[in-house]
Amino acid sequence: MSVLVELFIGGLMSGLVVGLAALAITLVFGIARFPNAATGDAMTLGAFVALSVSAITGSVIIGGLIAAVMGVAVGVGAYVLVFRKLAGRSSVANLLASMGIAFFVRAVVGLIFGHQQQVFQLPLVRPWRVFDIRIQPSDLTLATVALVTLGAVFLVLHMTPVGRRMRAVADDPGLARVSGISPTRVMIALWAMTGSVSAIAGVMYGIKTVVTPEMGWDMLLPAFAAAILGGIGHPVGAIVAGVLLGALQEMSTPLVGFTYKIAISFVVLLIVLLVRPQGLLGQAEGAR
Amino acid sequence: MLPYFVAILIIAAIYVLLALGLNLQFGLTGLINFGHVGFFCIGAYTAALLGQAGVPWPLTFLVGAALAAIAAWPLGLVSLKLKDDYFAIVSLGFSEIVRIIVTSEQWLTKGVQGLTGIPKLMGFLGTGLSQALAVLGILVAVNVLAGLAKLRIVRSPFGRMLEAIRDNEEGVKALGKDPAGFKIQVLMLGAALAGIAGGFYAHYIGYIVPEQFIPLVTFYVWMAIIIGGVGSISGAVAGTLILMVFLEGSRFLRDIVPFVSEVDMASIRLGAIGLALVLFILYRPQGLMGDYSTR
Repeated sequence: MSVLVELFIGGLMSGLVVGLAALAITLVFGIARFPNAATGDAMTLGAFVALSVSAITGSVIIGGLIAAVMGVAVGVGAYVLVFRKLAGRSSVANLLASMGIAFFVRAVVGLIFGHQQQVFQLPLVRPWRVFDIRIQPSDLTLATVALVTLGAVFLVLHMTPVGRRMRAVADDPGLARVSGISPTRVMIALWAMTGSVSAIAGVMYGIKTVVTPEMGWDMLLPAFAAAILGGIGHPVGAIVAGVLLGALQEMSTPLVGFTYKIAISFVVLLIVLLVRPQGLLGQAEGAR
Repeated sequence: MLPYFVAILIIAAIYVLLALGLNLQFGLTGLINFGHVGFFCIGAYTAALLGQAGVPWPLTFLVGAALAAIAAWPLGLVSLKLKDDYFAIVSLGFSEIVRIIVTSEQWLTKGVQGLTGIPKLMGFLGTGLSQALAVLGILVAVNVLAGLAKLRIVRSPFGRMLEAIRDNEEGVKALGKDPAGFKIQVLMLGAALAGIAGGFYAHYIGYIVPEQFIPLVTFYVWMAIIIGGVGSISGAVAGTLILMVFLEGSRFLRDIVPFVSEVDMASIRLGAIGLALVLFILYRPQGLMGDYSTR
C-alpha cells in the first residue's frame, strides 16, 4: 500500500512538471493559436542554465531565477525574431518554425553544455516519514514552486491590464484589435510568461531526474496531451491534467514497464481528442 | 571517391522516395504528417525481419509497404476528426510510439541492439561497386515509377479532388463529395511509399536500430520538400539533393576541422536544419522551385 502511495507522490511530482509544461503550451495555443513545439527545448535550456549557475554560485534558487530570466529572454527573442513575422500565417507555418527553433535551441544547448547526463548537486536530506510513507522535503519545495508559478500566471491573466488584453486576444483577435489592443505588446508579455514557465518546468524536471539535451523533447508529448486534456487555453486545466497524467503514468509503471510510460499519454491524447476535444475544463468551441 | 558518391546517391534516392510520399500527403492534400518516420520504421523492420527469415526481397518490400499502409489506416480515420495542427501532434506521437514499440519488444526486434545481418539487396553481386550500382539502379527505377504514378494522380480526377480538399475542404463537402475516403487513401499511399523506402534502407545498410528512426528523420524530409518547394516533384528531388549535400558535406567539414567531436557535429547539423527551417518558413515559404502562382 505504501509503495502505491509513494508511486502516487512521485506521479504527483512529475505531474506538476508536465502540468507546468502544459501550461506553457496552453498559453501559446490559446492566445497565439499554434502548438509550440519549442516548449520542450526551452525547458532543457532552463535546466542547463540553472544547473550551471547553481554549480557556480552554490544556490539552486539563484540558478532557477537566472533560468527563468533566461526563459523570458528566449521567449521574447523567439517572438521578436520569428513569430511576430509569422502573425497572420497559418498555424502550420508557425508550428514548423517552432520545430526549427526547437532543433536550434537543442543544438546550441548541446554545443555549450555538452551531451553528458548531469545532475543537480543537492544536499542529501533524510526523507520524512508519515505513516510509513517516505516524503522528500525537496518535493514539497518543488510543489510549492509549481503552485506559486501557476498562481503568478493566474494573477497576471486575471488581475492585470495586460492579462485582460491577453484574454481578449485569446477570445477574439480581430475584436481585440479594433478595440485598440496592441497585439505586439500582448504577445511580448505572453512569450515572456511562456518562456519563464517553460524554464521553471525544466529546472523542476532537472532536479527530479537528470539533465540531458533530450530531456525537454521527451516531455513534449505528455505536455501536449495534458494541455489538450485540460482544455486549450485553460491554465488550471493544464495543471490538473498534468497531475492526472503524471500520476497515471507513474502508477502504471509497475504494470506496463518503464518504456511504455510515454505511450500512455499518447493514448490519453487520442481518446480525449476523439471523445471530448474541448478537454476537461474547456468550453466547446468548434472542431479541433 | 566513386563508391562514396554512389552511397550518397543511394541514401538520397531513399529520401526522395520519402519526400514523394510526404509530397502527396502535404503538398497535394494538405495533410500535416509529422510521423513519416514511423512508416519508414515499420517498412524497415518488416523488410529486415522477413529478410532474416529468408523471404526473397521483392516480397519483403511489398509486405513492408502493406504493413505501413495498414498502420496508416487508423491514423487516417483519426485525421478526419482533427484540425491540421492537432493531426500534426497526433502523427508525431504515432511515430514516437512506433519507436517505443520497436525499442521495447525485444523478443521481436532485439530492442536497442537492433537487427543485424539483414540480407543485402543484390547480394549475389558481392559487396563492391557493382552491387551498389545495381541497388541505385533499382532505386532510381522505383523513384521514376513513383514519380510517374504521382504525376498520373495529379492529373486524374482523384488528384484534382485532393487539391480541392487541400484548398477548401468545406467547399468539397458542399459539392456533395466526401473528403474522408480520399484523405485516408492518400495517407495510406504515402505511408506505403515510406514503407518501401524503409525496405530499401534496411536491405542497403544491413543493420537497423531504433535510434535511426527518430523524429529528426521526419523533419529532414519536411526540410527537403520545403527547400525544394511544396507540391512539385522536381522540388522534392532538388530539395533532397541539397539536403544530402549539406548532411554529407558536414562530414567533410569534420575532416577539415578535426577537433570537432562527432556529437558536436550532430548538434551543428541539428542546429543548421533548425535554422534553415525557420529561415525558409520566414522568407521563402514556397521553396526554391515552388509554385508561385497558386499558393
